[in-house]
Amino acid sequence: MNPGWRRDAVAAVWVAAVAGAGWTGTALAARAPSKAKPATHTVTIDATSYAPARLTVHPGDTVVWVNKDLIPHTATAKGGGFDSKVLAAGASFRLTVKAKAGIDYACLFHPTMKGRIDVE
Amino acid sequence: MKVMYVAGLMAALTIPAAAASAQAVTDPQIAAIVVTANQVDIDAGKLAAAHANNPEVKKFGELMAADHAGVNKSATELVTKLKVTPQNNPTSESLKDGGVKNVAHLKTLKGAAFDKAYVDQEVAYHTAVLDAVDKTLIPNASNAELKALLVKVRPAFVAHLEHAKQIQATLGGAH
Repeated sequence: MNPGWRRDAVAAVWVAAVAGAGWTGTALAARAPSKAKPATHTVTIDATSYAPARLTVHPGDTVVWVNKDLIPHTATAKGGGFDSKVLAAGASFRLTVKAKAGIDYACLFHPTMKGRIDVE
Repeated sequence: MKVMYVAGLMAALTIPAAAASAQAVTDPQIAAIVVTANQVDIDAGKLAAAHANNPEVKKFGELMAADHAGVNKSATELVTKLKVTPQNNPTSESLKDGGVKNVAHLKTLKGAAFDKAYVDQEVAYHTAVLDAVDKTLIPNASNAELKALLVKVRPAFVAHLEHAKQIQATLGGAH
């Protein structure tokens, strides 16, 4: 079984729960996204870093963080917005981007880990 | 007491660095050093998780126990796969003794004194471990997968050191 499924479910709940507020707020009220089909982007967590550390996406795209490291990490937006919670080694977290603004995120456990998603 | 322990740990980890040019550390010895070094910090972390006064110190102890357990799980799986039997050596023995002494010392302390002693020790420990990883363990690892494991975990130790220093700064007090 893909260990990411449970996280996916959690992420889906999050998107629904915070719709209309915070980072995803503008997105749900926005027009249909551009004609391009939504893409899925993968951010690999390895050796206590995010790769790519900076990612540009379009509204409607999905970002999946996959923890390929040996230790637990998180992907947690600064000032709220999204939080993967604890991602054990091998776990993943899926987020559908609804916002139109970029956001910085970090690992709650390892302050040296920093990432950013730009939305255009 | 604490100072003596720290000095002992630093010495334990720097002996092979000094001797590295003349006498390489073998993979079975590296395996024993890695497993022991992680176990020492797991033990101290568990103690801090249970006994620390400051919530940040408590959380840091939990993190150390979890992270170093994760590293040891992978290290153990790798050496099993490689059929490398960890071989105790002066460095791993010193680490083990130092760890036992550190835990015994911490158990005599309470409250803010415990927190400060634990965090000071974590700063010294991760500084020494990084030095050993860079100067001794990575350069001497002959198996590519063992070397890769060390390279992969190194940034976590850097993060731990930075994190410990941040907490150390908030705890204040004389050095």
